[in-house]
Amino acid sequence: MKKRIGEYAARSRMTVRREPSVREAVTGAALSFDGKRRRAYGEVDVEAWRRWAEGVKNHLLTHLEDYLAEAEARLEANGARVHWARDAAEAREIVLSLASDCSAGSVVKGKSMLTEEVDLNPALERAGIEVHETDLGEYILQLLDEPPSHIVGPAIHKSLEQVRELFEERLGTTPGSGPDDLAQAARKVLRDAFMRADMGITGANFLVAETGTVALIENEGNIRLTTSLPRVHVALVGIEKLLPRMRDLAGFLQLTTRAATGQSIGCFVSLIQGPSIRPGDDGPEEVHVVLVDNGRTDALLHEHAWEALRCVRCGACLNSCPVYRQTGGHAYGWVYSGPIGSILGPGLLGLHEAMPLPFASSLCGACGDACPVRIPIPELLLAWREEAQRRGLTPWNERIALAGLARMAERPGLYRVAGKFGTRLGATALARKLPMLGEWSRDRVLPRPSPRTFREMWHGGIE
Amino acid sequence: MRRGGPGARDRILERVARATGSRARHPHPGRLRTDTVTDPVATFVKRFTSQGGEVVTPDPHRTPGDWLTGFIAGLDGDVKGVAAGADVPAALQPGTPAAAPADAGAGISVAWGAVAETGSLILPSTGTRSVQLLPPVHIVWLPAGRVFARLENALLEMRPELPAAIGVHSGPSRSADIGRTLVTGVHGPGRCIAVWLRGRRTDP
Ligand code: SF4
Repeated sequence: MKKRIGEYAARSRMTVRREPSVREAVTGAALSFDGKRRRAYGEVDVEAWRRWAEGVKNHLLTHLEDYLAEAEARLEANGARVHWARDAAEAREIVLSLASDCSAGSVVKGKSMLTEEVDLNPALERAGIEVHETDLGEYILQLLDEPPSHIVGPAIHKSLEQVRELFEERLGTTPGSGPDDLAQAARKVLRDAFMRADMGITGANFLVAETGTVALIENEGNIRLTTSLPRVHVALVGIEKLLPRMRDLAGFLQLTTRAATGQSIGCFVSLIQGPSIRPGDDGPEEVHVVLVDNGRTDALLHEHAWEALRCVRCGACLNSCPVYRQTGGHAYGWVYSGPIGSILGPGLLGLHEAMPLPFASSLCGACGDACPVRIPIPELLLAWREEAQRRGLTPWNERIALAGLARMAERPGLYRVAGKFGTRLGATALARKLPMLGEWSRDRVLPRPSPRTFREMWHGGIE
Repeated sequence: MRRGGPGARDRILERVARATGSRARHPHPGRLRTDTVTDPVATFVKRFTSQGGEVVTPDPHRTPGDWLTGFIAGLDGDVKGVAAGADVPAALQPGTPAAAPADAGAGISVAWGAVAETGSLILPSTGTRSVQLLPPVHIVWLPAGRVFARLENALLEMRPELPAAIGVHSGPSRSADIGRTLVTGVHGPGRCIAVWLRGRRTDP
């Protein structure tokens, strides 16, 4: 996926103006996820769970070289092969050479943000390999040649009508088909792909150092099929995805699913130790784990970016974000959207590349409260803003416009009134008076607003 | 053979060590104490069924195989053939004709155990993964007495002898990717039925 982060302001404005169906679909889905998360958090002592998870990941990230070495040794002892990729190009090369070793003509894939991050599919296709995304949402997007717009629900920006039209045209489903019939049509196509595939490619939710266990959470069963039927399984794993012990995995599987979809656990969890080498085991003859850096050690070396590496990619911060809910993920122009994308971007790509993402937020604090590993997202956004300002990385008017977009996204009605005053009062004074910014602005200095209100700029064009 | 750019591994580990060496090391916080489960069997049944799974008690007066043959005959959708996992003893297999997993109307497995707090069945790869995944109905013998209160207990018990893979199944396959409407049986089984297996009690 080509990065288009720099076009954030223009693309978000376009989405809001020209594609109202996106806002409708995304808002509905995100609010539904968010409600389920709140209910699931309410069933357990969630503050204790979150503090525990933060502690485990902090321990992991401050002992990462030991755990990486342990995971590698364990996996090799289990009969799996471990490969290391410094960047996206190396990750692609490794997978391509593994595919050529097993003469793979056809590949099935489980949903993986890391494979999106390293642009794997186009490389496989260029090598003449058929690629089938098997997660239903990803499959829809593959037919449309669109990137995912949400970490957990990649196609939440599509309505039933849009999927119906697409499947009618591409799979020959009858007009007016319901979700059940549409899903069955996709199942049929993909079942055939599973039976033919030479290689299955997945990401990983976790990799347990103690046992060399690759853990994958899902609801459809496509990841279990991807890791069970083809002769070769390749898992791409970001180096921050490790967990120290099996015991830790039990907690993380439950907390992650509660945060993501409100379930107590995913319908299917795959725990993969290695290939089927013991008598009686069936499944892939080869299991390869590709450990990918691609900017993660840069983030780890940075004084505050490293905290974003606790992320378990649950999507809770996206669902809780009033700015994300206006535009969906595509406007952000990169594989990781919403609050997590806005702090991971500068960490993984460098701040210059990730501008203006740290400004695409109202700092309302909802994301930080939702995050299961207690990443202080608003503080990190603020730290990146300060660094951007110090380095003179963004034009003044764009900064203000984005702050305006963010605030308007949160309370359009209120902002209409407040906007006029804000231009005169100065944003910090204004924010202290606005309920939605109160908590956050108490100790913070917001940028001074433009003499034009955001609404005026919005209608007149931001640039 | 290990792939990757020359020295990729050492270079990554060297950078990681530089980062970890530059900040205070955090201690591990110890165990997460999830809620106490007072009645694991009741909690398992409640959770598993609330996630769309089904729990059945077979007729104790019939042999398991006979009962299963009758049960399968009574399923919706006229199941013509079944596939059983490699580790399912003959006594737990139905008289229904056998079929390949891809063609079978139902798959028969034996669970290693179950977990109460998450409502899950634990299925090791020794039990033929395609049987656990391809047929539209998955019937799983669950030894009574092997319901663990917490996921952690079950994983730690398995740890010394981990199979190549473990499937943790907590209900039927489902998706809400099309218009946010819940559909079941998308890729994996649309029905997941746990059947109590008594008489081989081994308490966890
Ligand atoms: S930052 Fe936190 S809430 Fe957002 S995706 Fe990552 S873990 Fe989930």
